[in-house]
Amino acid sequence: MLTEIQEGKVLNPVVKHITQEKINLYAEASGDFNPIHIDKSFAAKTPVGGTIAHGMLSLAYVSEMMAATFGRSWLSEGKLQARFREPARPGDTLTINGKIDCVEQKDGVSYANCNFECLNQKGETIVTGETIVKVLK
Amino acid sequence: MSDETNKTISYEELIPGYEFPLANYELSASLVSKYLKAVDSASDGFVPPLAITACAIAAMTRSIPLPPATIAIHAAQELEFFKLVPIGATVECHSRVARKITRGKMSMLILGLEVFDKGKDKVQSGKATIALPT
Repeated sequence: MLTEIQEGKVLNPVVKHITQEKINLYAEASGDFNPIHIDKSFAAKTPVGGTIAHGMLSLAYVSEMMAATFGRSWLSEGKLQARFREPARPGDTLTINGKIDCVEQKDGVSYANCNFECLNQKGETIVTGETIVKVLK
Repeated sequence: MSDETNKTISYEELIPGYEFPLANYELSASLVSKYLKAVDSASDGFVPPLAITACAIAAMTRSIPLPPATIAIHAAQELEFFKLVPIGATVECHSRVARKITRGKMSMLILGLEVFDKGKDKVQSGKATIALPT
Protein backbone atom coordinates (compact mmCIF):
# COMPACT_ATOMS: atom_id res chain seq x y z
CA MET A 1 0.00 0.00 0.00
CA LEU A 2 1.08 3.58 -0.57
CA THR A 3 2.37 5.13 2.61
CA GLU A 4 1.70 8.68 1.49
CA ILE A 5 -1.67 9.56 0.06
CA GLN A 6 -1.23 12.97 -1.46
CA GLU A 7 -2.14 14.89 -4.58
CA GLY A 8 -0.05 14.01 -7.60
CA LYS A 9 1.07 10.68 -6.19
CA VAL A 10 1.45 8.06 -8.92
CA LEU A 11 0.00 4.65 -8.10
CA ASN A 12 2.05 1.53 -8.69
CA PRO A 13 1.12 0.38 -12.21
CA VAL A 14 -0.31 -3.05 -12.94
CA VAL A 15 0.85 -4.90 -16.06
CA LYS A 16 -1.08 -7.88 -17.43
CA HIS A 17 -0.88 -10.01 -20.53
CA ILE A 18 -4.17 -10.94 -22.20
CA THR A 19 -4.56 -14.42 -23.65
CA GLN A 20 -7.51 -16.20 -25.19
CA GLU A 21 -7.21 -18.73 -22.36
CA LYS A 22 -7.74 -15.99 -19.77
CA ILE A 23 -10.69 -14.61 -21.75
CA ASN A 24 -12.24 -18.08 -21.89
CA LEU A 25 -11.70 -18.52 -18.15
CA TYR A 26 -13.26 -15.14 -17.51
CA ALA A 27 -16.28 -16.15 -19.59
CA GLU A 28 -16.67 -19.29 -17.48
CA ALA A 29 -16.27 -17.43 -14.18
CA SER A 30 -18.66 -14.62 -15.07
CA GLY A 31 -21.12 -16.57 -17.21
CA ASP A 32 -20.64 -14.06 -20.05
CA PHE A 33 -20.31 -16.28 -23.13
CA ASN A 34 -20.94 -13.52 -25.68
CA PRO A 35 -19.35 -15.01 -28.84
CA ILE A 36 -17.45 -11.79 -29.52
CA HIS A 37 -15.18 -12.88 -26.66
CA ILE A 38 -14.81 -16.61 -27.25
CA ASP A 39 -15.79 -17.57 -30.81
CA LYS A 40 -12.94 -16.74 -33.19
CA SER A 41 -14.83 -17.45 -36.40
CA PHE A 42 -17.86 -15.41 -35.27
CA ALA A 43 -15.71 -12.53 -34.05
CA ALA A 44 -13.66 -12.46 -37.27
CA LYS A 45 -16.80 -11.60 -39.23
CA THR A 46 -17.74 -8.65 -37.01
CA PRO A 47 -16.49 -5.05 -37.25
CA VAL A 48 -13.96 -5.71 -34.43
CA GLY A 49 -12.32 -8.41 -36.60
CA GLY A 50 -11.48 -10.94 -33.89
CA THR A 51 -12.15 -11.91 -30.32
CA ILE A 52 -11.84 -9.20 -27.69
CA ALA A 53 -11.53 -9.31 -23.92
CA HIS A 54 -14.48 -8.54 -21.71
CA GLY A 55 -14.39 -4.88 -20.67
CA MET A 56 -14.80 -5.99 -17.08
CA LEU A 57 -11.57 -7.99 -17.35
CA SER A 58 -9.63 -4.76 -17.94
CA LEU A 59 -11.54 -3.13 -15.08
CA ALA A 60 -10.52 -5.99 -12.79
CA TYR A 61 -6.90 -4.89 -13.30
CA VAL A 62 -7.85 -1.33 -12.36
CA SER A 63 -9.49 -2.68 -9.21
CA GLU A 64 -6.32 -4.64 -8.42
CA MET A 65 -4.26 -1.44 -8.63
CA MET A 66 -6.73 0.39 -6.39
CA ALA A 67 -6.84 -2.44 -3.83
CA ALA A 68 -3.04 -2.59 -3.75
CA THR A 69 -2.98 1.12 -2.94
CA PHE A 70 -5.97 1.61 -0.67
CA GLY A 71 -6.63 -1.89 0.68
CA ARG A 72 -10.05 -2.82 2.03
CA SER A 73 -11.25 0.75 1.85
CA TRP A 74 -11.38 0.33 -1.93
CA LEU A 75 -13.10 -3.05 -1.77
CA SER A 76 -15.78 -1.94 0.65
CA GLU A 77 -16.35 1.73 -0.20
CA GLY A 78 -14.76 2.47 -3.56
CA LYS A 79 -16.43 4.31 -6.40
CA LEU A 80 -15.52 4.07 -10.08
CA GLN A 81 -16.47 5.52 -13.46
CA ALA A 82 -14.93 4.01 -16.57
CA ARG A 83 -15.21 4.41 -20.31
CA PHE A 84 -14.14 1.61 -22.63
CA ARG A 85 -12.33 3.27 -25.53
CA GLU A 86 -10.88 0.42 -27.53
CA PRO A 87 -11.08 -3.35 -27.17
CA ALA A 88 -8.27 -5.35 -25.58
CA ARG A 89 -7.33 -8.38 -27.65
CA PRO A 90 -5.57 -11.69 -27.07
CA GLY A 91 -1.83 -11.06 -27.21
CA ASP A 92 -2.11 -7.54 -25.79
CA THR A 93 -0.09 -6.46 -22.80
CA LEU A 94 -2.05 -3.95 -20.75
CA THR A 95 -0.54 -1.40 -18.40
CA ILE A 96 -2.82 0.28 -15.89
CA ASN A 97 -1.59 3.65 -14.66
CA GLY A 98 -3.19 5.77 -11.98
CA LYS A 99 -2.61 9.00 -10.14
CA ILE A 100 -4.18 10.79 -7.18
CA ASP A 101 -5.73 13.95 -8.62
CA CYS A 102 -6.75 15.46 -5.30
CA VAL A 103 -7.56 14.60 -1.71
CA GLU A 104 -10.79 16.13 -0.43
CA GLN A 105 -12.21 16.42 3.07
CA LYS A 106 -15.87 15.69 3.69
CA ASP A 107 -17.36 15.49 7.17
CA GLY A 108 -13.91 14.98 8.63
CA VAL A 109 -13.07 12.12 6.27
CA SER A 110 -10.45 12.25 3.52
CA TYR A 111 -11.29 10.99 0.06
CA ALA A 112 -8.74 10.43 -2.71
CA ASN A 113 -9.90 11.25 -6.23
CA CYS A 114 -7.83 9.30 -8.73
CA ASN A 115 -7.71 9.00 -12.48
CA PHE A 116 -6.59 5.93 -14.36
CA GLU A 117 -5.88 4.76 -17.87
CA CYS A 118 -5.31 1.36 -19.36
CA LEU A 119 -2.95 1.28 -22.33
CA ASN A 120 -1.95 -1.56 -24.63
CA GLN A 121 1.60 -2.27 -25.81
CA LYS A 122 1.12 0.13 -28.75
CA GLY A 123 0.21 2.96 -26.39
CA GLU A 124 -3.44 2.88 -27.45
CA THR A 125 -5.93 3.84 -24.76
CA ILE A 126 -8.19 0.92 -23.86
CA VAL A 127 -9.99 2.28 -20.78
CA THR A 128 -10.02 5.61 -18.97
CA GLY A 129 -11.78 6.67 -15.82
CA GLU A 130 -11.89 8.06 -12.32
CA THR A 131 -12.18 6.56 -8.87
CA ILE A 132 -13.01 7.90 -5.42
CA VAL A 133 -11.91 6.11 -2.27
CA LYS A 134 -11.92 6.88 1.44
CA VAL A 135 -8.44 7.30 2.87
CA LEU A 136 -8.04 5.31 6.07
CA LYS A 137 -5.70 6.77 8.67
CA MET B 1 -26.18 -19.50 -10.12
CA SER B 2 -29.92 -19.53 -9.78
CA ASP B 3 -31.87 -17.14 -11.90
CA GLU B 4 -34.58 -16.72 -14.49
CA THR B 5 -32.33 -14.93 -16.93
CA ASN B 6 -32.54 -17.59 -19.61
CA LYS B 7 -35.83 -15.93 -20.54
CA THR B 8 -35.37 -13.55 -23.41
CA ILE B 9 -37.69 -10.72 -24.26
CA SER B 10 -38.14 -8.68 -27.39
CA TYR B 11 -35.89 -5.70 -27.92
CA GLU B 12 -38.98 -3.45 -27.92
CA GLU B 13 -39.76 -4.52 -24.36
CA LEU B 14 -36.48 -3.08 -23.18
CA ILE B 15 -37.87 0.29 -22.21
CA PRO B 16 -36.82 2.51 -19.30
CA GLY B 17 -38.13 0.98 -16.10
CA TYR B 18 -38.10 -2.60 -17.41
CA GLU B 19 -36.82 -4.87 -14.65
CA PHE B 20 -34.76 -7.93 -15.53
CA PRO B 21 -35.51 -11.16 -13.67
CA LEU B 22 -33.83 -11.35 -10.28
CA ALA B 23 -30.60 -13.31 -10.27
CA ASN B 24 -29.13 -15.05 -7.23
CA TYR B 25 -25.50 -16.05 -7.07
CA GLU B 26 -23.72 -18.27 -4.63
CA LEU B 27 -20.22 -16.82 -4.58
CA SER B 28 -18.55 -20.13 -3.87
CA ALA B 29 -14.86 -20.67 -3.28
CA SER B 30 -14.60 -22.44 -6.65
CA LEU B 31 -16.26 -19.55 -8.51
CA VAL B 32 -13.99 -17.01 -6.81
CA SER B 33 -10.97 -19.19 -7.51
CA LYS B 34 -11.88 -19.42 -11.20
CA TYR B 35 -12.40 -15.65 -11.34
CA LEU B 36 -9.06 -14.93 -9.67
CA LYS B 37 -7.29 -17.25 -12.09
CA ALA B 38 -8.94 -15.46 -15.04
CA VAL B 39 -7.94 -12.00 -13.79
CA ASP B 40 -4.50 -13.25 -12.72
CA SER B 41 -4.88 -12.00 -9.16
CA ALA B 42 -4.50 -13.25 -5.60
CA SER B 43 -7.22 -13.76 -3.01
CA ASP B 44 -7.58 -11.42 -0.06
CA GLY B 45 -10.22 -13.54 1.63
CA PHE B 46 -13.25 -11.75 0.21
CA VAL B 47 -15.15 -11.89 -3.05
CA PRO B 48 -13.61 -9.37 -5.46
CA PRO B 49 -16.36 -6.77 -5.98
CA LEU B 50 -15.85 -6.84 -9.73
CA ALA B 51 -16.51 -10.58 -9.74
CA ILE B 52 -19.98 -9.79 -8.43
CA THR B 53 -20.46 -7.06 -11.03
CA ALA B 54 -19.31 -9.38 -13.79
CA CYS B 55 -21.90 -12.02 -12.87
CA ALA B 56 -24.66 -9.41 -12.64
CA ILE B 57 -23.80 -7.89 -16.02
CA ALA B 58 -23.60 -11.31 -17.65
CA ALA B 59 -27.07 -12.15 -16.31
CA MET B 60 -28.47 -8.92 -17.74
CA THR B 61 -26.86 -9.25 -21.14
CA ARG B 62 -28.04 -12.85 -21.49
CA SER B 63 -31.56 -11.46 -21.37
CA ILE B 64 -30.99 -8.94 -24.14
CA PRO B 65 -32.24 -10.24 -27.47
CA LEU B 66 -29.75 -9.76 -30.28
CA PRO B 67 -30.30 -10.46 -33.96
CA PRO B 68 -27.96 -13.17 -35.29
CA ALA B 69 -24.40 -12.05 -36.09
CA THR B 70 -24.73 -8.78 -34.18
CA ILE B 71 -22.71 -7.75 -31.17
CA ALA B 72 -23.21 -5.88 -27.92
CA ILE B 73 -20.34 -3.69 -26.78
CA HIS B 74 -19.77 -2.66 -23.17
CA ALA B 75 -19.15 1.08 -23.58
CA ALA B 76 -19.02 2.44 -20.02
CA GLN B 77 -19.38 1.38 -16.41
CA GLU B 78 -20.11 3.11 -13.12
CA LEU B 79 -19.78 1.28 -9.81
CA GLU B 80 -20.02 1.96 -6.11
CA PHE B 81 -19.12 -0.59 -3.44
CA PHE B 82 -20.78 -0.55 -0.03
CA LYS B 83 -19.75 -3.71 1.73
CA LEU B 84 -17.25 -6.57 1.59
CA VAL B 85 -18.78 -9.91 0.69
CA PRO B 86 -17.34 -13.09 2.23
CA ILE B 87 -16.58 -16.08 0.05
CA GLY B 88 -19.51 -18.48 0.15
CA ALA B 89 -22.14 -15.76 0.49
CA THR B 90 -25.19 -15.56 -1.74
CA VAL B 91 -26.16 -12.26 -3.32
CA GLU B 92 -29.25 -11.07 -5.14
CA CYS B 93 -28.91 -8.88 -8.24
CA HIS B 94 -31.59 -6.40 -9.25
CA SER B 95 -31.26 -4.79 -12.65
CA ARG B 96 -33.36 -2.62 -14.88
CA VAL B 97 -33.26 -0.48 -17.98
CA ALA B 98 -32.47 3.06 -16.87
CA ARG B 99 -32.31 4.68 -20.30
CA LYS B 100 -32.51 3.70 -23.95
CA ILE B 101 -31.04 6.01 -26.55
CA THR B 102 -31.12 5.45 -30.31
CA ARG B 103 -28.75 7.32 -32.57
CA GLY B 104 -28.70 6.34 -36.22
CA LYS B 105 -28.02 2.62 -36.43
CA MET B 106 -26.85 2.31 -32.82
CA SER B 107 -28.76 2.02 -29.57
CA MET B 108 -27.34 2.66 -26.14
CA LEU B 109 -28.90 0.80 -23.25
CA ILE B 110 -28.06 2.15 -19.82
CA LEU B 111 -28.72 -0.57 -17.29
CA GLY B 112 -29.01 0.08 -13.56
CA LEU B 113 -27.74 -2.54 -11.16
CA GLU B 114 -28.09 -3.12 -7.42
CA VAL B 115 -26.75 -6.09 -5.51
CA PHE B 116 -27.87 -7.11 -2.02
CA ASP B 117 -26.68 -9.72 0.45
CA LYS B 118 -28.93 -12.13 2.34
CA GLY B 119 -29.37 -9.55 5.08
CA LYS B 120 -30.80 -7.17 2.43
CA ASP B 121 -27.81 -4.85 2.82
CA LYS B 122 -26.74 -3.26 -0.43
CA VAL B 123 -23.26 -4.43 -1.36
CA GLN B 124 -22.86 -2.53 -4.63
CA SER B 125 -24.68 -0.50 -7.25
CA GLY B 126 -23.80 0.70 -10.69
CA LYS B 127 -24.72 1.48 -14.26
CA ALA B 128 -23.57 -0.31 -17.37
CA THR B 129 -23.79 1.31 -20.80
CA ILE B 130 -24.19 -1.24 -23.58
CA ALA B 131 -23.98 -0.23 -27.24
CA LEU B 132 -26.09 -2.29 -29.62
CA PRO B 133 -26.73 -2.20 -33.34
CA THR B 134 -30.43 -1.70 -34.16
